[in-house]
Amino acid sequence: MYSDLLHALPDVFAWTNFAAVVIGVIAGIVVGAMPGLSATMAISVLVPFTFGLEPLVALGLMAGIYNGAMYGGAIPAVLLRIPGTPAAVATTFDGYPMAQKGEGGFALQVAVVSSSIGGIASAFALMLLAPPLSKVTLLFGPSEVFWVAVFGLASIIFLLGGNPVKGLISACFGVFVSVIGSDPIYGNDRFTFGQLEMLDGINIVILLVGLYALPPVIDLLETPLKTDGVNSSKLGTQSLWKALPRMKSYWKTWLRGSLLGIWIGILPGAGGSMAAFMSYNEARRTSKHPETWGEGEPEGVAAAEVANNADTASALIPALTLGIPGTAVAAVMLGGLLVHGLQPGPMLFRDNPDVVFGFMWQFLFGAILLVLLGGSLATNSFARLLNLPRPLLGSVIIVLMLIGVYSIHGRMFDVYLMLGFGAIGWVMDRLKFPLPPVVLGLILGGFAEENLRLALRIGRGDPMVLFQNWTSLILVALTVAVVVGPTLKKRFIDSRKKA
Amino acid sequence: MPESRNSRLTRPETLTAIGIFVVAAGFLFPTYDLRAISALLPAAMLIGLLVLSVFLLLADQRKASAGEDAAPMTKAPKRVIGAFLMIVSYALACDFVGFYISTAVTIPLVAWTFGYRSPVGLLIATVIVVGTIWAIFDFGMSQDFPTGRLWGR
Repeated sequence: MYSDLLHALPDVFAWTNFAAVVIGVIAGIVVGAMPGLSATMAISVLVPFTFGLEPLVALGLMAGIYNGAMYGGAIPAVLLRIPGTPAAVATTFDGYPMAQKGEGGFALQVAVVSSSIGGIASAFALMLLAPPLSKVTLLFGPSEVFWVAVFGLASIIFLLGGNPVKGLISACFGVFVSVIGSDPIYGNDRFTFGQLEMLDGINIVILLVGLYALPPVIDLLETPLKTDGVNSSKLGTQSLWKALPRMKSYWKTWLRGSLLGIWIGILPGAGGSMAAFMSYNEARRTSKHPETWGEGEPEGVAAAEVANNADTASALIPALTLGIPGTAVAAVMLGGLLVHGLQPGPMLFRDNPDVVFGFMWQFLFGAILLVLLGGSLATNSFARLLNLPRPLLGSVIIVLMLIGVYSIHGRMFDVYLMLGFGAIGWVMDRLKFPLPPVVLGLILGGFAEENLRLALRIGRGDPMVLFQNWTSLILVALTVAVVVGPTLKKRFIDSRKKA
Repeated sequence: MPESRNSRLTRPETLTAIGIFVVAAGFLFPTYDLRAISALLPAAMLIGLLVLSVFLLLADQRKASAGEDAAPMTKAPKRVIGAFLMIVSYALACDFVGFYISTAVTIPLVAWTFGYRSPVGLLIATVIVVGTIWAIFDFGMSQDFPTGRLWGR
């Protein structure tokens, strides 16, 4: 099982694949450092440009961006108290006070080393846990695969928190979009309204760019960034190698934060912000000087950053093996895999071992490269990115969105469709409808329908075929637990509060 | 806090719920022409959307009757509408006038309109972006871009 992992290594070192990771990490740091832009948005814009690339080049770029953006978010969090990405909120607690004391350079160095350690731990978790899990899922038949899809959707709707009605609406919308086009078995048109462009269905990239790239662009143009500014040219930076000995005492925080981040990454719907908050709270609780936290304690930066990067590759464990992404970025990355004809799930490990294991190595190298690229450049060069004018940035992203979507099939119809999804995405974003269920609905909808129909054919139309083995029943029980669990938990907490 | 809108029906979530209901109901009609097995999933999703939109509407109206004010969708509606219009106009311009002319106009126009007022910066940025796109996509990857329906191409 693990021999495939070693076989994939030489391909990763091909110069194009390695260069892709390097470029991805740099691009990721740049994107993460810009408040308002995120890894999800960057990967959404990138995906259409990777059509003509080899899968490992495309995946290397994505792995690099994901790793880089998670660290990049710390730059404005430390310098401006504005988290570059949602996962960097906890970094502001101690990072910004450090910058005010003239220790912004050291705060960023702690952030980059911690991010790298978290990313390395996460990549190892992916390498160790995904292959055996994929072996188990190989035993699944159509009814089990159908229930896996239902479980995946249910978990991302109900574990994501927030309003379950809005989560369900998002998922129904995503699944509905997945059925547009020709029926996979009978070939009749569904909701194409005579448009030949829609016969093949809605390309996932069009939806991704619309939902994830257009709303941030509108945000960039809507509100000019106002900061109470820390001068990024006066960071008090010293060499990273001289700063490392000061970080030796954080090893327990790194270990705890890595484990927490990996665990939260695997859970569908949780994400990097939760990992960072939990790690920060745990580290402060066990600290000998909790009173210094919130006033510029470097260990606070370490706790937050190690956990939000430890969540990156581990979020791909359920995504690659079951097709259930742990985070929004993982959902978008699933879209990136599909673009290259790689269907997430157990068959991916059997049919494309070089690609899937190479992708895992790329995550590891991306995390290592963070220190080399971020460490030497981040403290000064990346900090200057914050001075880039947001309206100009917005106008350039608009152009990139159009090029990316147009280049899929070379037709403007897709661009107009993307703008439609973008408008829907903006409304959903403002009204706090979760977006990941839409993407997952589109990915899993067709998959679920195909397997449901196959299972019903096997059972000669009897729906009881869906409940005829233990695996299916366990998956049904898990789905029910995911749906009912949060409500029961809330009632339990409320009743305890009243008592 | 009392409801600040003239009508409770103009609350953003209520309007969205009504919109979802109307669109889902509209899409439900074509499912009658499909085979039962083909219509199973889409009909289930559309009926789900109908039911959920009613829940959303009732929940929002309950909040309104409890005196909870709905937050506006944007604090700068003119800027948002302007941004949307500019993006749509850019897409239409690419389609009808051609990609390069539209891009060369849109980049400085959008940036200027939304607050970046340095003519030199705009010129440099436009030249760099358009030049890079041409070098990578047109020259390097032979990617065709829209040349403009108005010119009959």
